[in-house]
Amino acid sequence: MGAYIARRILITLPLLLAVSFLTFLLISFSPVEPAEVILRAQEVPLITDELIERTNEELGLDKPFIIQYFHWLISSLQLDFGNSYVKNEPVWNLVGPAFINTFKLTVASTIVIIIFSVLIGVICAVNERKMVDRWMRTILFVFTATPSYLLGAVCIYLFSVKLDLLPTSGMEGVESYILPVLVTSLGYIGIYFRNIRSAMINNLNEDYVLYGRASGLSEYTITWHILRNSLQVAVSIFCMAIPLILGGTVVIENVFAWPGLGSLSIGAILNRDFPIIQAYVLIVAVAFVIFNMISDILNAMLNPRIRNDS
Amino acid sequence: MFIKLKTMFFMLAAITILAGCTSTKVEDNKNTDELVYATVKDINDMNPHLYPGSMSAQGMVYESLVENTEEGIKPLLAESWEISEDGTEYTFHLRKDVTFHDGEHFNAKAVKQNFEAVQNNKEKHAWIKLSDKIKSIEEVDEYTVKLTLFEVYYPTLVELSMTRPYVFLSPNDFKNGETKDGVNGFHGTGPFKLTEHKVDQYAVFEANEDYWAGVPKIKKITAKVLPAGETTLLAMQKGEVNFAFTDDRGADSINIEGINQLVQAGDYQLTRSKQMNTKMIVANSGKSESPASEKNVREAIWYAIDRETISRDIFEGAETVANSLFSINVNYADVSLKERNYDIARAKEILENAGWTISSQDSVREKGGKKLEMKLYYDSNSPSQKAQAEFIQGSLKEVGINLELNGEESTSIANRRATGDYDLLFNQTWGLAYDPQSTVAAFTSEASYLHATKGIPDAEQFYKKIEETLTTIDEEKRKLLYEDILKTVHDEAIFIPITNGNVTVVAPKNLKGISFKQTQYELPFEKMYFE
Repeated sequence: MGAYIARRILITLPLLLAVSFLTFLLISFSPVEPAEVILRAQEVPLITDELIERTNEELGLDKPFIIQYFHWLISSLQLDFGNSYVKNEPVWNLVGPAFINTFKLTVASTIVIIIFSVLIGVICAVNERKMVDRWMRTILFVFTATPSYLLGAVCIYLFSVKLDLLPTSGMEGVESYILPVLVTSLGYIGIYFRNIRSAMINNLNEDYVLYGRASGLSEYTITWHILRNSLQVAVSIFCMAIPLILGGTVVIENVFAWPGLGSLSIGAILNRDFPIIQAYVLIVAVAFVIFNMISDILNAMLNPRIRNDS
Repeated sequence: MFIKLKTMFFMLAAITILAGCTSTKVEDNKNTDELVYATVKDINDMNPHLYPGSMSAQGMVYESLVENTEEGIKPLLAESWEISEDGTEYTFHLRKDVTFHDGEHFNAKAVKQNFEAVQNNKEKHAWIKLSDKIKSIEEVDEYTVKLTLFEVYYPTLVELSMTRPYVFLSPNDFKNGETKDGVNGFHGTGPFKLTEHKVDQYAVFEANEDYWAGVPKIKKITAKVLPAGETTLLAMQKGEVNFAFTDDRGADSINIEGINQLVQAGDYQLTRSKQMNTKMIVANSGKSESPASEKNVREAIWYAIDRETISRDIFEGAETVANSLFSINVNYADVSLKERNYDIARAKEILENAGWTISSQDSVREKGGKKLEMKLYYDSNSPSQKAQAEFIQGSLKEVGINLELNGEESTSIANRRATGDYDLLFNQTWGLAYDPQSTVAAFTSEASYLHATKGIPDAEQFYKKIEETLTTIDEEKRKLLYEDILKTVHDEAIFIPITNGNVTVVAPKNLKGISFKQTQYELPFEKMYFE
């Protein structure tokens, strides 16, 4: 098991190198002169050739691409990701808090997603094709199919403006988590509960269920066993939900004015705020790699066959 | 399937009913001395000698020597001034009762340090021609400074009155005597102090209790970052945000429908400034391979655009029809120009006479085997530009011009403008206080309208005249020069005006004293008060 984990970690490093190199490469393909874009993002009203030259020199943009990349790589290995071009602040001072804000939202949403997906999945599987099952699937289908900006606006309208229960936006206390978490979760629950439901329905037809019933076990105990077997399928899905949400909260953050990674990265991409884009891509890449690894490890623990195969 | 559809319908109906029947409740504005305004972007770096910061926020914190008002230049931090005979020396007498927010005294030394910090970063201020004319700044005594220019420059006082860069930051905030590489704090002399800033969340400004012109009645102003317009509207309905205005960032954060809804509900009032800028289509006269380089084509486009309908249907009357590059309330712009009203027949006639003919089986005109086709670029983040583009596309089709629409990011459009890679694009003038001198000066700048104006016959001569307007001391001559310049660009139909924009303020009904400055980028919050 230890060797398995070590191998996975070793694969991660070249992957991150490749990701950072690719980001660098893609940005360098942009036909516009980077210094000019930076100055425009700083809203300098009139950009002269002298100014472009000076900016190139200051930021080392006049150097060949590969040298720029190595410069970046060496300083980022020392955890120095440079300054944001637009906000003129160290990248970590901006990306760090934004990451934590998005991560809080992600964790809260994931917990809600897991609880409700499993709960609804079990209820639907046990009541397969009955009224409850149909209703649940219909309702969640509607929520999943609704774009989150619309769902967000409707939720704010209902819960904040009409019922006056919650703040419309911002991040000022526990109550401001409720709506963003609700809207984020609704979309995912509608997808994931189906995995639980179908896995359980498949398990219902397994022999061990029949034996269990035959030997007089209570329905409760049988359901518990089915659920445990079905959860194996769900583990990897839930693990991957975390980086998916982490990298996909742009719309939610926009609607709820959540000061997270999504809004930061969109702004950075529009302004070509390169140091922030690099840091953002790395964070999301690391998150995917780590959670992919965790899900593999969990699966290996749950299912010895995977361990032995590899 | 049938059951599912029915269920879905029932649910949607339930949501609608639930939304409809609960009573609207808008929180009363309990704090009668607090404003919370919505802004699309963070206020960013508040260094007043650089440009990323929000101008409306900087306008609250920093002040300039003089103020640009409707009646002309008025004293602000300078009580009075004299201009030497030859027009190159300005002596300013400073107010003696001004302190920075950190307690530091405002005096000639601080003025000198600030000017020098700006001049040491001259490349970034190329747009403000004054930065190139300043020879020196000297302290005459503790409250007198003398500004010496290389040559006469008539907009000196106007440019000194602008939101940035010639405003004053406490010298204690400088880094190594400079401001170009960042500053240690944001202490100005203005009516409000920046007391808290959470990046991408909010910024708090509190009334400056030692303000030299009297303590503002509004005690606290919060700029809340709300990137989505729908949320802003809902937050205003709830009362979490009680103020919104078209600032220098996202422009229309709430659409016209939303504003009307707020006003009709009875808790808010709508105030519009007079015309502040002109929204227009810029035609690239310098791109010789494009039909836009032909004066007749540009004129035909002008005639073919129904600006009345755009003003009425797209802007719902919030913006008025523009007939020339500058509206007549702009300095030097009150000149008589040829009227070009909406006239499809005239547009067709011009094209016909210019040799652009139409064959019966085709709807697009041709000349010498070349089709009358052009590309119009608009800002993809602006719903109103998109709507206008589509409307104009339809109108031009009627006269036999094929218009291809391209929505792009604003940076990309600015880049096209700088490289000349466009036929037509949407733009707007810099606005009152900057018009006409800054916009006209931009005719000669590569990054702005050089490509657009290159196609003017005898362009070199034209550019010389622009240079002259800025340096002549003869006011009569300047008037005539501007008249000539404005006539030329009008006759050449390079800037096709659409509408005049203004600053829109949505504020609580009991807020009084809402007024505007001679710039679209700032609001005089210090004059507002609750009744």
